[in-house]
Amino acid sequence: MKTLDIALKDLTRSMRSTFAVIFMFGVPLLVTGMFYFMFGNIAGDDGGFDLPVTRVMIVNLDQGSPDLQLGSSMLGQSAAQPVDNLGAIIVNVLQSEGFADLLKVTIAADAGSARAAVDENNADTAIIIPPDFSTQFTSLNTQSAQSVLELYANPEKTLELAVVQSILEQFMDGMSGAKIAASVAANHISGTDYALIGQVVQKYLAAASQRTADPQTYLTVKSVTEVENPNRMLAIIGPIMAGMMIFYAFYTGMTTSETILREDEEGTLPRLFTTPTSHTTILTGKFLAVGLTVLVQVVVLIIAARFIFRIQWGNSFYVALIALGTVLAASSFGIFANSLIKSSKQGGIIYGGVLTVTGMLGMIKIFTLSVPNTSPMMETVSLLVPQGWAIQGFLQNTVSAPSTDVLLTFAVLIVWSIVFFSIGAWRFHRRFA
Amino acid sequence: MNAIELNNLHKSFGELKAVDGVSFAVLEGEIFSLLGPNGAGKTTTISMLSTLLRPDDGDALVLGHSIRKEPMKVKEALGVVPQDIALYEDLSARENLVFWGKMYGLRGAPLKKRVDEVLETIGLTDRQNGRVGKFSGGMKRRVNIGVALLHKPKVIYMDEPTVGIDPQSRRSILDSVVALKNHGMTVLYTTHNMEEAQELSDHIAIMDHGKVIAEGTHDELVRLVGQSDRITLTLNIESARVIDLWRATPGVQNVTAENGSLTLLVDDSNLILPRLFEITALNGVRITSVEIQVPNLETVFLHLTGRALRD
Repeated sequence: MKTLDIALKDLTRSMRSTFAVIFMFGVPLLVTGMFYFMFGNIAGDDGGFDLPVTRVMIVNLDQGSPDLQLGSSMLGQSAAQPVDNLGAIIVNVLQSEGFADLLKVTIAADAGSARAAVDENNADTAIIIPPDFSTQFTSLNTQSAQSVLELYANPEKTLELAVVQSILEQFMDGMSGAKIAASVAANHISGTDYALIGQVVQKYLAAASQRTADPQTYLTVKSVTEVENPNRMLAIIGPIMAGMMIFYAFYTGMTTSETILREDEEGTLPRLFTTPTSHTTILTGKFLAVGLTVLVQVVVLIIAARFIFRIQWGNSFYVALIALGTVLAASSFGIFANSLIKSSKQGGIIYGGVLTVTGMLGMIKIFTLSVPNTSPMMETVSLLVPQGWAIQGFLQNTVSAPSTDVLLTFAVLIVWSIVFFSIGAWRFHRRFA
Repeated sequence: MNAIELNNLHKSFGELKAVDGVSFAVLEGEIFSLLGPNGAGKTTTISMLSTLLRPDDGDALVLGHSIRKEPMKVKEALGVVPQDIALYEDLSARENLVFWGKMYGLRGAPLKKRVDEVLETIGLTDRQNGRVGKFSGGMKRRVNIGVALLHKPKVIYMDEPTVGIDPQSRRSILDSVVALKNHGMTVLYTTHNMEEAQELSDHIAIMDHGKVIAEGTHDELVRLVGQSDRITLTLNIESARVIDLWRATPGVQNVTAENGSLTLLVDDSNLILPRLFEITALNGVRITSVEIQVPNLETVFLHLTGRALRD
């Protein structure tokens, strides 16, 4: 009973310390939260990728080509007149409903005003279609004739430029394909059978133009959550949260164990020894306090991360098992480390060093998660410290590893705990005997 | 009957003999002071009696229980007020008392009742829910004492409980020590403050360099230096003739000269002092300063060790 009294007293004191509470709960959630919002903001609430609407200023100076007579119905238009102007087709495509969410197209009277609109930030890009655009296209001389578009953009609007460039390149690819088709047709049919060549080109262009009108064909934009793994963001946040939780669980184990030294220095531990309470009861109470504090921290963080970041920790039973192993390992590691320290003054330096080194080693597994072809040696190194095993346990759970693997990790955590606790408890008993 | 008996206690830390064969006895219901300068071995003696330190040799009985063989019985019998405040500053006064009460085996309603009583005794009922860390030094001292009273011990050790506090809180603590005695408790009180020992104690043991160098009541100790008063004077000029005449004066026991001043041990300073002035005036010498010291524990310590208690 006295053991529990001592443990609950210490737990109460820990929870009353603003500093301790911030480091136990606030910092791990905050760090994970930073990562969450970094990825979360890009992904948006629905996981979609929200591109900005690009303001496009178009000047169509194209005078058309008499050799180009495209059936308007094949271009998805209702106009009865055939279209002889490729520039008009480009304008038409960019103004289509399919791009309404991506582009806001305005027609400019001349090239100068279009460029000025970009310079004055009234437009993000300007597309200037030259007068000979169609003429160059219909020339069958593939060596010298080229249809050239001018794309004038604000260099700071890289994303907007990329969007417009992507659409135009796709369109121009289609045009180039049509021209190649026409050249091939001209080589195989009689060079004067323009009607047949025109039909080939028209069919090709129609198909190309219709594809262009569908933005999905040209802008394959997938949100982070859609790439490869549908749960990709959680796959990133989960290990980070596990790493933070384990790092700070070991920190709590270390600092809570330090109360044994501090109570000794402040005189409350010697005073406890003057009460009719055995040394074993007192030290067991102190050790229990460390375990309880870390347990509260880990349980709160697991639950909080589940609700705040929607992290799927995996099978509840195995999560509880690994959490228990982590609590025991973190607590016993703290008791062990403090048993080697003479006074709490030494603690600050030693805690910082030991926790940073072992914590970083343990988290190698997380750092290398997104690095392809990581050396297996790195994974082995992370398992030299208990933090590495704890992290491995949580990662195994999140990917639903075989239960034997999880149980093995738990067993190793228990072995670490027994070793650390035995040495730590023995040294403390000897010190206060 | 003896509440505490020390028999030849020894404790060394390396080469340092902190306690070197200390023996004394404390009667039930009395205030017994251990008086000595810092480093005399008082706290080490108390630590052994509290079972915090194991003696290298010798033994002590607290209410008949050996500190070596029955440490748990000893702990049950005594309350300890440590020299430094040993409380949890982030807990309230009441929470501290409840926790320490549990450590003394109190539970439930009896614990609550006793905590209320102790809060009343130390005068902190109104501030019971305030965090100890926010208390003044005097209030902390009172809680520190309150913890030792929770289980109604028959013997209480108080290790320099008035160090570093204001005169008002000091007065309050000294009054509470007397009150404990009046409630039948035996108090073992350590101090390096002569006035406290003189005011409180039924018996006093003077410690120096780990040994008890004198023990008894205040009057018994003062008699060790004879009932002499001590007069310290300075003259405007050195005069061997005046010193010789003083030595020859009836009632003057001894005259020593040191650092430009003269120290006389006399039977009664009130009778002798006019005669001393008369001799100096007749010889053309003038007394420039006079200090009279009636025998006290300081004199005893000086007499026994050749050093002042505050050195």
